Amino acid sequence: MSVLGTSSHIFSSPIFVSSELPDIPEMGGFVVFSGIVRNLNEGKKVTHLEYEAYAPMADEMIRSILADARKKWDLLHANCIHRVGKLEISEIAVIVETGSIHRAEAYDSNRYIIDRVKHEVPIWKKEFYIDGSSEWSKGCVHESH
Amino acid sequence: MDIQLLFFAAVKDHFPDLKRIEVSEGDSILNLRKILTHTNPSSESILKVSRFAVNQSIVGDDFVLKEGSVVAVLPPSSGG
Repeated sequence: MSVLGTSSHIFSSPIFVSSELPDIPEMGGFVVFSGIVRNLNEGKKVTHLEYEAYAPMADEMIRSILADARKKWDLLHANCIHRVGKLEISEIAVIVETGSIHRAEAYDSNRYIIDRVKHEVPIWKKEFYIDGSSEWSKGCVHESH
Repeated sequence: MDIQLLFFAAVKDHFPDLKRIEVSEGDSILNLRKILTHTNPSSESILKVSRFAVNQSIVGDDFVLKEGSVVAVLPPSSGG
């Protein structure tokens, strides 16, 4: 499934990095960031995650963050989509795509978007551990990826 | 007057997902924080670090609630 041209930023079905680039002849740099579910967090073995979102608000906030990025940088393309629901290890939780004439804007804006999405957007992660316990993530200050 | 409350993630450990409660005319988000803390004292620490949104916009403690407001209690985000 291509992530290009989507109108919604919150997905309950799996998301994948697309091999298809946006068809923008002026674009010289395209950056894709993928946040992936890993099997270890703070020394505890993770079996899977569950993401929950206040979906309508999260969708609108991501749209607003993308608009802010377009104001700050001269972007030809910007998109972000986030998974919700149960995710297995190595599944993609979030993708941010940015495209611009030169690479600098694409790199800088991509980092700006993912940092704001992680800190501001109402999306929460529950970690499930190999010992059967589970815990809501304490928030971004404890994030390490 | 009635408002609707939405609880998410770690806040759901202390409250149901959806709740309709009665508040007084002129009550603010600060008053609501106190009401919720009084209702369930174990929620105090998570409520202290939670943001509040009314009709999907983040608001401050001085925001005054209106009849029918949909108030979401948002613990710290952990997207990505």
